[in-house]
Amino acid sequence: MSPMTRRQLLSWAAAGGATALLAGCSTPGTVSPNAGTTIAPAASGEKITLTYWAWLKDLQKVADIWNADHPNVQVEAVWIPGGNDGGYQKMYSALAAGGGPDLAQVEMRTLPEFLLVNGLIDLRRYGADEYAPRYNETLWNQVSYVDGVYGIPQDSGPMALYYRQDLLDQVGARPPATWDEWYQVAGAVRDADMYLECFALDDASWFAAMATQAGASWFQIDGDRWTVNMADEATLETARFFDRAIDEGLMTTSYGQFSPAWFAAAANDKIVSLAGASWGDALLQGVSGAEGKWRVAPLPRWGDAGYGSTFQGGSTAAVLANSKHPREALEFAVWMTTSEAGINAMIENSGIGWSPDDAYIGAARQEPSEFFGGQNYNEEIFVPAAKEQNNEWQWWPLTQQTFNILADGFRTKASGGSLVDAVVQGQRDVIAAFRNKGLRIEGAA
Amino acid sequence: MTAVTERRSEASGGDARRVGPKRRSRTSASAPWILLGPFLALFLLTFILPIIVAIGSSFVRVTRQGVFGEEGVTTEFAWFANYAQALENGNFIASIGRMLLFGVVQVTVMIALCTVLALLLESASVKWPGFFRAVYFLPYGIPGVIATILWSFLYVPGLSPIIDIAGAMGIELDFLGAGTVLWSIANIVTWTYTGYNMMIIVAQLKAIPTEVYEAAKVDGAGPLRVALSIQLPLIRPALILTTVFSIIGTLQLFAEPQVLQTVSPAIDNEYTPNLSAYTTAFAYNDYNVAAAQAVLIALVAFALSFIFLRLTSRRAS
Repeated sequence: MSPMTRRQLLSWAAAGGATALLAGCSTPGTVSPNAGTTIAPAASGEKITLTYWAWLKDLQKVADIWNADHPNVQVEAVWIPGGNDGGYQKMYSALAAGGGPDLAQVEMRTLPEFLLVNGLIDLRRYGADEYAPRYNETLWNQVSYVDGVYGIPQDSGPMALYYRQDLLDQVGARPPATWDEWYQVAGAVRDADMYLECFALDDASWFAAMATQAGASWFQIDGDRWTVNMADEATLETARFFDRAIDEGLMTTSYGQFSPAWFAAAANDKIVSLAGASWGDALLQGVSGAEGKWRVAPLPRWGDAGYGSTFQGGSTAAVLANSKHPREALEFAVWMTTSEAGINAMIENSGIGWSPDDAYIGAARQEPSEFFGGQNYNEEIFVPAAKEQNNEWQWWPLTQQTFNILADGFRTKASGGSLVDAVVQGQRDVIAAFRNKGLRIEGAA
Repeated sequence: MTAVTERRSEASGGDARRVGPKRRSRTSASAPWILLGPFLALFLLTFILPIIVAIGSSFVRVTRQGVFGEEGVTTEFAWFANYAQALENGNFIASIGRMLLFGVVQVTVMIALCTVLALLLESASVKWPGFFRAVYFLPYGIPGVIATILWSFLYVPGLSPIIDIAGAMGIELDFLGAGTVLWSIANIVTWTYTGYNMMIIVAQLKAIPTEVYEAAKVDGAGPLRVALSIQLPLIRPALILTTVFSIIGTLQLFAEPQVLQTVSPAIDNEYTPNLSAYTTAFAYNDYNVAAAQAVLIALVAFALSFIFLRLTSRRAS
């Protein structure tokens, strides 16, 4: 009899333990960190350590500069995989487990996704407003939602047109100033057995940036609900334009920008230009034999409509929900992104993207570049580009899912679909996805 | 069952003569538990419990009202709503269909290939069987992620010598297109696991008693006849085992497509069932629907294995 009772006892214990654990495992991210009182700054003399999770290279060297001046607020940088390649997954799990760092690198477009799981601290409650004037207006808009500020802009990527001077000369073309001209040049380039550009069917973010430049604004907060208009005139015009370019074979869809196949094609003089963000300059240097061959021109314009440029990518330093020292974390983030020492250190050590501070782009970027044939392209092209932006654009809580839905639609181009159909159908799917989460959303009529 | 209990009471009876009646029952009863304890604790904590939690959370739904959930977050028991949502997701269903197609082709090819390799290595006329066994098994020692990166150098246009050579001969190869990338993955998986499955079959071949071979030889059977009439029927259990493992492995395909995604635009984020569940959980933050997907994947794997075992056992009887 004794073994039986023991087994029974064990099974009861296991069942009891499981029930207790289940009760403890309620679905994470259901409690707002921005109710209740704010957390007071650390008492003077108290020594604290902030952790910063980011996928920036050598970030600790940047933090060490701050650490030398702030013995009581030490910052420890922890490297994590980039964004959706595992970094966010790590942050989400840490948040779900009730932990995580004080600061984390979160892309602009991902901030609302973290808001949705109550993962971010509202920095307005800790005095973020006083720093707002230092930042690029468009970027500050993209970290402000409803009544709060949920991240400090850290870098961005104003877009321009990188092009091969020598290859354009071959076909007797100049860098196109409008997308209509771009279309003409693309045809000429194609006749010479090269491509002007590729179109990545698996990544909708480039298309979204182009639509933004054309004047699109897909999501808006209207009081207590979202309104979505992914098929507005600007987006449809963009979709029609690239539909035509792909259908006529002017753009290749077999690889995306900066993929291994793209690098191979660029090294073989098969790719003539790249509509890309400012951070693309460093990547271009990875093309073998590219030294001195590339130049930078402003992004082509959509006729008289739209804007001179658009942002692609860009990240923030956000304070995560379980931070014990939001005020100090905010101060460090502001120092890192607006002080000359911080900006320069971020460029030198981490190769950070475009400075979010319009007043200072960093010493290294004020010089002409040898790689770009002596062109002072940062001052010349990207400084104005950072200011000619679509201020209406806002990110939304299901950005990644929306881009995946669009990419699924884009992929059907191989079997007779179109980008136009993809955005129209995409809007329906996105509305369904919002409602599945319980969020309130209406499609614009 | 009775035989086991009898043998057990005999054994403990033998014990009793030495240590006395009371002590006997306690030691014999607690010893296995003490030995099993560490295993059971880990097994419960890392295997049974997560399964229970996953099944539990697959029935729960969290909805957030308003723009960001600021008007309240409700957690409720949702019955099968998450399952319905998972099944309504065309991409998820397509991924299961894709894996069925993949399995029918890849598992068949791989099992046939590993059987042939095993028979060749165990045939009488083979040279250096140990060396070839090691060579065929070697790919299994390379992690799937590394294997995929290695193979991607042969798949990517501009880098791949295969594509260059074929191009020079006027043949356009595209290993990463929408229609071909599935078979490029199948190639990697076959390359990795054929040697491993071959080893299982070789082990079973080695267990065939030599008398059987001698009898066949006396009866005048050639090598082909020996393979068909003696070896194949006798390695049946190993073939069934490797096939079931391969079916389950196919449904759980994850690393290869995820790594290949960086070079192939045709692979979406829900290309395989596991990739779909991963995306739902960690990119869309919908743990509950992801749990429902995981349960569905397990059910499909279970059903397929069960059907396969039923079919093979019926044919045997």
